[in-house]
Amino acid sequence: MTSCAPLVTVRQAAYREWVRAHGELTEVLEAGTSDHICWVYGEDDASFDRAVRRFLAGGLDRGERVLCIGERVLESIRTDGDGFSGAEALVESGALRTTTTAEAYAAAGAFAAGEQLGFYTAATQEALAHGYTGLRVVADVSPLATDPVVRQELVRWEHIADDYIDEGAGFTAMCAYSAALPDESLADVATVHPLLHVPAAPPFQVFIDEDRIALSGSVDTFSAGRLARVLASSPIGSDGAVLDLGRVEFVDVAASRVIACWAQELEARSLPLEVRGASPLLRRMWQVLGLGEVTAVRFAA
Amino acid sequence: MTAVEQARNGFEHEALFYRGEDDFLAGLLPFVREGLDRDEVVVVAEPRARLELLRDALGDDAAAVEFLDMSDIGQNPARIIGVWDRLLQQQTAAGRRLRGVGEPAFVGRREAEFTECRLHELLLNTAFDGGPSWRLLCPYDEAHLPPSVVRAALHTHPLAGTTAERRTSPRYSPGDLDELFGAELPRPPDAVVRGIHGPADVPATRRTVAEYARAVELPEETVEVLALAASELATNSIRHGGGTGTFAMWTTGSAVLVEFSDAGRVEDPLTGRRTPSLEQEGGRGIYLVNQLCDLVQLRSSDRGTTVRLTTWR
Repeated sequence: MTSCAPLVTVRQAAYREWVRAHGELTEVLEAGTSDHICWVYGEDDASFDRAVRRFLAGGLDRGERVLCIGERVLESIRTDGDGFSGAEALVESGALRTTTTAEAYAAAGAFAAGEQLGFYTAATQEALAHGYTGLRVVADVSPLATDPVVRQELVRWEHIADDYIDEGAGFTAMCAYSAALPDESLADVATVHPLLHVPAAPPFQVFIDEDRIALSGSVDTFSAGRLARVLASSPIGSDGAVLDLGRVEFVDVAASRVIACWAQELEARSLPLEVRGASPLLRRMWQVLGLGEVTAVRFAA
Repeated sequence: MTAVEQARNGFEHEALFYRGEDDFLAGLLPFVREGLDRDEVVVVAEPRARLELLRDALGDDAAAVEFLDMSDIGQNPARIIGVWDRLLQQQTAAGRRLRGVGEPAFVGRREAEFTECRLHELLLNTAFDGGPSWRLLCPYDEAHLPPSVVRAALHTHPLAGTTAERRTSPRYSPGDLDELFGAELPRPPDAVVRGIHGPADVPATRRTVAEYARAVELPEETVEVLALAASELATNSIRHGGGTGTFAMWTTGSAVLVEFSDAGRVEDPLTGRRTPSLEQEGGRGIYLVNQLCDLVQLRSSDRGTTVRLTTWR
């Protein structure tokens, strides 16, 4: 693979030329510079093996170091194919590193998003220092998604990781989750990835696009709590946040209130919120419900 | 002391029957000027032509009066109480007394709108009796309105009269409220599309409603409003109406109708009419729907709850 085009490009002529690739994908075609994929694998899932190998091969072609975490991922690279071959030689050269999930996460004690960011920042910088063009990770994080408390921290980490990936520091990732996890857990984790290969797409996605927190899809009363949790963990700069609603299909009263409550919390920390791409109906709803009286949000095109 | 004077404390809700423009002004001008003389805040909600008429007749005094277009704020009569409630709260907080004129049942409205005007007039008493003192005068065009609408005003207003005489209405019957709020709405006349929704079906329900609205060629802006309304009302059925609900959609020559029903009961007939407080958890969906839709008819009894949305076309 020689091209480094993103996996998917979505044209949004209305207000911006290009937006970060997001949505559902059926297979990995090429490796891009801001890939953050949530891949849910089933039992004896050959398409997962293929995706892992292509994802890694694409990274190796780009001169990246690749890191595989979890037994299920290691199983995928035991077989050559899809552009990937010679795992042992790659390990020897340092281009491929492998670890089990237990080694990767249990060693660190309690799972914490901040520590994860520290670890991957250091690992990415190390890869760059060793002459690689970046660090590409495939990690099976299923064990972390089972416990509800750890899962919340995991969602927080995935969301922060997305910001780090979008920055273009050289870090990219495919996060693998077992289809055996409960639907709610899978939806929780899938929501914070821009690219998805999942049996059932979550109703909405939140991902980082340059300096913006981008929301796509539909949020209603039944998923508003999840939006509140994700926004509460969103990485926010010192000069405030920009929430991009340009790709939102639908938001109801409960979802609008979640955004207003979040804005209120930001305001309490002296962080202004700018909302971009809100539909005329959302702005009308905002006015009718008096949400503008709760908090000062700046609406922009 | 006359009966009318005894009623001076609290909320004075009075119908004024008039015949023609001169009679309208003969009733309204003294009412408005008396309010201004007493330093009350005077707000007039009338359809546009009546507003212009009154404004011209008031001359310089018009500057001190707030005018609201009733065909706008009262297009869906379920919005009007929220407007008066806000004004009353503002003026009470400012230590001033409110005096209003409101003609919701103006000439040219459709039958379903007149029905909602009647419910609205009854609910004004429920909403404001026992609260701060203020006066609301409701003009009724006796010469041009359907006789049933004029008769109904005698039942919905504790005070009723003409420009010649104010008096208490012997036919005032606040008990009509339960009957009207619990009544069944007229059945759809023709072909109806029906659906059932459970907790997992809210997205599908709003899409189905949006597709129907598009198929009957409503503008996209209205399609989005109906999808939002569908989402809120289907959610209410799931949360408060026994976990499931049904919907029905049909068209008439002049309107597109979408109706949501469930087995739950709305105890407070004022639900969705007052602006929800910022802390309040529920009641926002139906309030929003009231603000966004052309006509909303909420009925509830021990047989269940129905919300019918009418979009004029």
